[in-house]
Amino acid sequence: MAVVVGINFAIALRLLGWIPQFHLNSVKSFYRVHWLGVYAVFLSGAGLLLAYPAKALTNPVFYLKFITLTIGLILADWLQRKITDSSIADLSPKKIKAVAATSIMLWIITITAGRFLAYTHSVLLASRFF
Amino acid sequence: MLEILTRIADETGIYSAMNSPWGWPTAESIHFLGLCLLIGTVGVFDLRMLGLGKGINYADLHKLVKFGVAGYFLNVVTGIMFLTSAPDQYIYNPAFQTKILFMLLAGLNMLFFYATTSGQVKSTSAQAIVSIRARGIAVVSLLSWAVIIICGRLITYFRPPYHWCFWC
Repeated sequence: MAVVVGINFAIALRLLGWIPQFHLNSVKSFYRVHWLGVYAVFLSGAGLLLAYPAKALTNPVFYLKFITLTIGLILADWLQRKITDSSIADLSPKKIKAVAATSIMLWIITITAGRFLAYTHSVLLASRFF
Repeated sequence: MLEILTRIADETGIYSAMNSPWGWPTAESIHFLGLCLLIGTVGVFDLRMLGLGKGINYADLHKLVKFGVAGYFLNVVTGIMFLTSAPDQYIYNPAFQTKILFMLLAGLNMLFFYATTSGQVKSTSAQAIVSIRARGIAVVSLLSWAVIIICGRLITYFRPPYHWCFWC
């Protein structure tokens, strides 16, 4: 997760103009590492969900994390496409900054929801209902 | 040691803040965000030294490191809050001890980088490869941070000896 969020943070900081404007085309190779991180997140997340399905599925915070994670990844994919075909230059600076700020917000919510998951569940095992 | 840490937590109000319903998860969220900042900046710079992102100027990318320092600061502050609030969960914990050891290694590695290699790396052209020493430093840094993260997660799964050690 640190790899996924970290790389998204770094690209967002570049888009916000908080670090020097190096050529965005060069960040393509970092996206490969990013998607490797996403696979690791998906596999470990699926393992945790399979191990304690009731714990996650009965907790609204899980859905918040799932939604923000999904939107964050869709945004990362959209940004990667824009960077790869250089069409990001067609976007207005205001829109680019809004996308970068949204990305940072989504990842902050994802991380926070992920940590609160461990403290907010009310059900541990489905056997409680039987 | 335990008494000193407990007293610090009591006298500074850290203990009551951390034991409020939102205290611990909020501190953990900030700790994780600091870690993400660190990996997204120092980690990205390490990967750049290992050859990823060819075309990105090393000196330009190095400007990210200040955000990593901010992330590290968040980690130190929240880390002290964890340690002082539940010292027995940390100081006897092999995962925490290993984490501190690798933090020390990462710190020494960083000092070595700034003392010997950073000037040369920053002046390297965006298309060129950095020296073997710089790449070695990047590998040590990435491995150290990976071990630090893994040990950080493992801390949770340890309980102080008086919970399980019947012969102690």
